[in-house]
Amino acid sequence: MIDSANGPVDVSVIIPVGGRHAADMLALYADYKEGLQALGSVYEVIVVLDGPRPEVAADVQRLLASGERISVIGLTRRFGEATALVAGFQRATGRIILTLPAYHQIRGQEIGKLVRALGTADLAIARRWPRAGSRFETIRRDAFHRLLATITGQRFHDLGCGARAMKRRVLEEINLYGDQHRFLPVLASRVGFKVLEVELHQSPLDRLQGRYPSREYIRRALDVCTVFFLVRFTNKPLRFFGMVGVSTFLVGAVLVAWLAIDRLVFGQPLADRPALLLSSLLVVLGMQLFALGLLGELIIFTHARGIKDYQIEEVVRYPAPAHAAARAQPAAETPAGESRPHVV
Amino acid sequence: MPLDLSVVVPLFNEEESVRPLYAAIVAGVEPLGVSFEIVLVDDGSRDGTARVADEIARADPRVCLVRFRRNYGQTPAMAAGIAEARGEIIVTLDGDLQNDPADIGELLARIDEGNDIVVGWRYDRQDKLWTRKVPSRIANALIAKVTGVPIRDNGCSLKAYRACLIKQIPLYSEMHRFIPAMAAIAGPRIAEIRVRHHARRFGSSKYGLSRIYKVLLDLMVIKTVASFTARPMLWFGMLSLPMLAAAALALGWTCFTLATDGRMSLSIAGAGVIFLTSTVTLLAAGALGELIYKLGDVREHQFSVLTQHLLVRGAATHD
Repeated sequence: MIDSANGPVDVSVIIPVGGRHAADMLALYADYKEGLQALGSVYEVIVVLDGPRPEVAADVQRLLASGERISVIGLTRRFGEATALVAGFQRATGRIILTLPAYHQIRGQEIGKLVRALGTADLAIARRWPRAGSRFETIRRDAFHRLLATITGQRFHDLGCGARAMKRRVLEEINLYGDQHRFLPVLASRVGFKVLEVELHQSPLDRLQGRYPSREYIRRALDVCTVFFLVRFTNKPLRFFGMVGVSTFLVGAVLVAWLAIDRLVFGQPLADRPALLLSSLLVVLGMQLFALGLLGELIIFTHARGIKDYQIEEVVRYPAPAHAAARAQPAAETPAGESRPHVV
Repeated sequence: MPLDLSVVVPLFNEEESVRPLYAAIVAGVEPLGVSFEIVLVDDGSRDGTARVADEIARADPRVCLVRFRRNYGQTPAMAAGIAEARGEIIVTLDGDLQNDPADIGELLARIDEGNDIVVGWRYDRQDKLWTRKVPSRIANALIAKVTGVPIRDNGCSLKAYRACLIKQIPLYSEMHRFIPAMAAIAGPRIAEIRVRHHARRFGSSKYGLSRIYKVLLDLMVIKTVASFTARPMLWFGMLSLPMLAAAALALGWTCFTLATDGRMSLSIAGAGVIFLTSTVTLLAAGALGELIYKLGDVREHQFSVLTQHLLVRGAATHD
C-alpha cells in the first residue's frame, strides 16, 4: 500500500510551489503519482505554497476531495524556494527526501531512476538531457555552469532542475535559505556528501519561456558571489578580506611613499597633486577591508562551537573481546561520544 | 570510566605508517602504567589507511577510529579526535612517524608537575633547511613575539594537554598550529621539552612554502581574538593610530599654510580628511567588534573559570 497512513514513510516528496507553476497542477500530480507508485515504497506528498497561491490551493483542494493524501503547507508570504523546501522538510518523515518542481521539467515515470541513484550517492540531481531550447539559452546556461565550476571546482550541468533525491542527512546538515536551493549540490558536495548527476529525459511539456529579465541576471550574479564566499571563505573571512585589503593597502602605500620621496628629495610640490588623494584613499580602503576581515574572524571565533567544520562518517570502537567480531554500532548519525563504553 | 590518557593521531594517506606508529605508541605508553586509548582519525585518506586502522582497532579494543567523510585538513582531524577522546590528558602527534611516541612519558611527567600544556620542541629537526627549517624558525619567532607565548616550535604536533583545557578551545580553520597561543587566553602553565624528530620514512610531506601567508593572517586573527578577550577596543585603536597620525600631519600642515600664507592645498586637506574618516570608521569597527564579542558564546568568564579550575588542579597535584 502506498500512502502515509500505513507505517513508516520511505520517501517524502516535497513540491515547493513558487511564482512559476504548471497551468494544470492536476495533470502534473497525476504524472508524478505514476512514477511514485512505480517505486513500490511508502511515500508521502508535501506541497509547500510559497506565498498565497489561490489557484494552486484550489487545485490541491480538489485533489484532497478526490481522496488523495497530501499535506499542504502555506507560507504567509513569498520566502523563496529554499525556505519553502526547508519548511516542507521540517514536516517530512521519510528516509529519503525527493524534491520535485511545480512545473513539468522531467517525466514522472523517471523518478525511479533518480531515487535508485541514491544507492551510491547521498544526493542525486537530475540533468535534463537531451535538452530543448534555443541556441542562446544553451550558451547562457553553459556559461553559468562553467563560471560556477571555475569558482567552486565542481562541474554540474543543470542546477536549474528542481528534481532531486537525497538522503535525509543532507538536509539535516545543510542550512539553506533564500534562493540557495539551486546550489544545494555545490554546498552538499563541499560538506562531503557524494553528489551524482543523473541524466533524465526532459518532459515534453517543459517549454522554456525564454524570458529572462535582466533583473534575473543580476540576482544570479549575486547568487554566484554568495556561493563563492560560502564555499571558499566561510570559516576564514580574513583570507578573503585580508587578501583584497592588503593588496589595496600596498598599492596605496607604495604610491604615498613615491609621492613623499618626490616631495622630499626632488622638491616636487605635493599641493596640486590629485594622486595624493587617490593613494590615501587606497590606503584607507585597504585598512578598512582588513578590519572587516578581522570582524568576520571575531564572529567565527565567538561562534566556533556552533560551526561544524567537518563531518564524521563513523566512529568505530570495538568492544573489549576483540574476536567476538561484533562491530560496535557505527555512530554515524550521532558523532562523538555516543559509542559503546570502553573497557580496558 | 575515565581514562588517564588519550593519544590522538590524525592520519591522511599514511597507509604504511599506521602499523609501525601503533606499535610505537603502545611500546611508548604501556610501560608508563596508565590507562590509555588511541584515537586514530582518518582524514578522508584515499589509500588503505582506513582499512589498516580498522584492522588495528579490531585487534585492540583500546584503539578507536574516527573516519571523516572526506579530507578536511589537520585541524578538523585534531578537533574531532579531541572531541572523541576520553582521557584526562590528551596527547596529539603526527601520523607520519616523525614524532617519537617514546617521548610521551616525559610529556606526562611534565603535566604531573603541574603544567597544563606541554609542547614538544624538535631541537634536532630532520627536514630540509631552506624550505622547512628557516621559514619555520622565522614564523616561530614572529608567533612568539606577537602572542607573547615563548614557544620555539609551534609546528610540532607532539603536545600534551589537560583535556578540560583543550576541549574548551575553539579549533577551526588551520588553528592547530596556534593551540598554545589560543590556550594562552586562559592563562595556563606551558612547558616545553625537547623531543626526538625523525626524517620521513614513508610518503611525502604535505606542506610547502605557501603556508607563510596563511600563518601571517592566522597570527593577526589570534592577536585580534586574544586582545578582544582582554581589552576589546584597544586593538582597533592601535590599528587606527597610524591613520590618526597621518590625518594630524596633513590637517596640521593645512592649518599652518592657512595661517601663514592664507592659502591651502586641496589635495593635502583632502588626504587629511580621508585619514580622519578612516580613524573614525576603524574605531566604529572596534565598537562593533565589542558587540559581536559580547553576543558570542565565547566569554572571558568562561576562560577565567577555566583558569581557576586549572589552578585548583595544579595545587592539588602539588600537595
